Amino acid sequence: MNTGELWKNCLVEIEAGISKANFSTWFKNTSVLREDAGIIYVGVPNEFVRDWLKNKYHKLITKTVAGAYENMRAVEYIITKIESEKHESPMTADAYINKELPLKDLYINQEDNLNPRYRFNSFIVGAFNELAYAASQAIIESPGTKYNPFFVYGGTGLGKTHLIQAVGNTIKEKYPDKKVHYLTLEKFATDFINALQNNKANTFKEKYRKYDLLIIDDIQFIGKMEKIQEELFHTFNTFHENNKQIIFSSDKHPNYIPELADRLKSRFAAGMIVDISEPEYESRLAILKVKLREQNVDLGQEVIEYVASTIQGNVRELEGSLNTIVCQYRLKNKAVSLSEVKNLLKNNIRPKKNIAIKDVVKTVSGYYKLEEASIYEKTRRKEIVKARQVVMYLLREDFNVSYPLIGQKIGGKDHTTVIHSCLKIKEDIKNDPQLLQELEQIRIMFK
Amino acid sequence: MKLECEIEKIKNGIFIVERITGKNLTLPALNSILLIASNKSLKLRSTNLSLGVEIEIPARVEKEGVVAVSGAVLSGVFLNIPEVGNVKIDGADGNLSIKTKNTNIKLKGQPHDDFPTIPTVSGKVFEIEAKKLTEGIKSVYYSSSPSDIKPEISSVYIYTNEDNLVFVSTDSFRLAEKKIKIKGLEEIHGLLLPFKNVSEILRIFDDTRGVVKVCFNKNQISFSSDNIYLTSRIIDGNFPDYRQIIPKETKTEAILLRQDLLNALKLANVFSDKFNQVNLTIKPREKFFELSSANSDIGENKTYLEAAAKGESIELGFNYKYFLDCFQSISSDSVSIKLSGNSRPMIISPVADQSFTYLIMPMNR
Repeated sequence: MNTGELWKNCLVEIEAGISKANFSTWFKNTSVLREDAGIIYVGVPNEFVRDWLKNKYHKLITKTVAGAYENMRAVEYIITKIESEKHESPMTADAYINKELPLKDLYINQEDNLNPRYRFNSFIVGAFNELAYAASQAIIESPGTKYNPFFVYGGTGLGKTHLIQAVGNTIKEKYPDKKVHYLTLEKFATDFINALQNNKANTFKEKYRKYDLLIIDDIQFIGKMEKIQEELFHTFNTFHENNKQIIFSSDKHPNYIPELADRLKSRFAAGMIVDISEPEYESRLAILKVKLREQNVDLGQEVIEYVASTIQGNVRELEGSLNTIVCQYRLKNKAVSLSEVKNLLKNNIRPKKNIAIKDVVKTVSGYYKLEEASIYEKTRRKEIVKARQVVMYLLREDFNVSYPLIGQKIGGKDHTTVIHSCLKIKEDIKNDPQLLQELEQIRIMFK
Repeated sequence: MKLECEIEKIKNGIFIVERITGKNLTLPALNSILLIASNKSLKLRSTNLSLGVEIEIPARVEKEGVVAVSGAVLSGVFLNIPEVGNVKIDGADGNLSIKTKNTNIKLKGQPHDDFPTIPTVSGKVFEIEAKKLTEGIKSVYYSSSPSDIKPEISSVYIYTNEDNLVFVSTDSFRLAEKKIKIKGLEEIHGLLLPFKNVSEILRIFDDTRGVVKVCFNKNQISFSSDNIYLTSRIIDGNFPDYRQIIPKETKTEAILLRQDLLNALKLANVFSDKFNQVNLTIKPREKFFELSSANSDIGENKTYLEAAAKGESIELGFNYKYFLDCFQSISSDSVSIKLSGNSRPMIISPVADQSFTYLIMPMNR
């Protein structure tokens, strides 16, 4: 059903029934916002109009709408912001000579710090994040009881912030009396330090403990802040005891946040820890399609598929590449061909990694805190064997070095030894999440 | 309806509500004042659909009832009744008769069915002394933008910061901030009072003594004192993040007498050009502080002022009007001017008073 059309028809009918003065005073700037299970939501400009429509014209409106739309059950009035047409003031000599203060618009809700743009309807769910998504939905259903705390981790630009802010926005809508607050760890830390300096540690405690849902972003930086860890620990306990939801995001699993106190580690693990990985091809395709729909641009299937298959990194890079193409499209005002796209994205594609074998050895041995030379030695000490196998595995999997070459460079081994090592690691990571984490960490060092 | 009340009181009430009656509006009911007699009082009500006000006057009510009459006519009538004492008001068939000792007036009423209700606001509540409320608004509202293009800054922005209620206004060329200390205030994250309604709010509560109860939600705010209820829409939007543009470090600072500065600015005004430009030169080492302006049609002037200045030398131009405006909020004897380069805002504040801050953007040269 087209709500705009419906309201237009109703207005024509209402206009006929009341005086012109009344009509133009009360029905100007009204619209139907949406229809939900038979309830028609009418948007009105202010409270004066809402009260008057409710008191005086409710019967007339209900009757008219019911006549035009048989499934109607009720009419509700909501105050909406009328987007006044933006007039760009012409650049006059006066405006030129009077410099403006460099004021920036605020888009973030000041009460809870959430960015209203982050919602679930623009959140793409795929294999890479479906667990995180499902968990977040469960939290929205029953905040504070199901998974508390909820800990999301994953690399940069994969949608952690989007997910946790969308949870905040949805909970705010669903439970209007719950107090939601979003902040980054850095903000938490500066607030705490300021409170200490001004001798207002108690106000700080009260401030955070009055919320019903606390969302803390980028918690990985907490490692070296001992005092903050302690404060967070107490805040966390208060939340947990009172069944209030708390959500964290980080780029690492809590076990790999350096110098994180054990008591916090175990607290984090008590709830739900989920990761968001890099999107696979299908999800990338879906993300591109949604972004294009938002911008109202059609680039053709071929181009989208090409972008999805070549830009394999995070969502942010994907968006960046897409924006480059859309910009070109708008500029030329015609379809962009595949070869042009290839040309455009030349710089966005991550260069194939060419890396010296020596560097891999250096990084891995550094990670395991071993002497670099020990990898090349003929020794069967357990920790060295493991590191050596990891080197071989990474060289093969990530850098496509041939088996014989790996063997030759790593202490003159036979290529079958190398194959065996690679297979062994491959098998081991299936059963040993610890090893998988280690590999992830090492891979990050190469980026 | 039939009642008797004091002329003086009804007169004051009518003058207040009459200001808010709509002008040039299509709905005639909005041009009128609604008189409601009930329960030992007479209520006068008017609205322009952005602002609504209701004033209660003690009265001896014989018969309850409601009448609407033109606001302009009613205020015209009471403006010209010089008597003191009581007035008898009688409304029947939608018309109104007003009787004093010497006058007898009959007014034609308006259909009161069309007269809208004014919203009762529910939401957060706080109390503030009327004097502090008007002081806060008065100190900043002249800096708001009168244009509707950006409704967020065509407003007075109010929020709490620790023990302060902070009032801010800007038209993007200058900005005024006033902090009023109030203990035990619940946190307010920011509400935007429309500039167009602010002057009425000021006028109505300017001579109110005692406490005003303020109640607000996302769309509407109300102020109530003993006998006045006023409600205004509020702007749904975000005020720009102004705190970050206040320069943190100062390169040049000058302190001088308020009166000296005011006189010099007024003189500079005589010679300023069509952009109202006045130039300021400070050379701390040479103890040199000069205001100058020039106009090719009139002539030019230079005024040297006694000032305690330190820091770097600087030269910049600004609009003198913006500067003059802030003197209505500064009552101290001396004024401090802080500068940090000629592309950053100039900060003006009273010496030894942290509660008021005023920013002016220098002009392009």
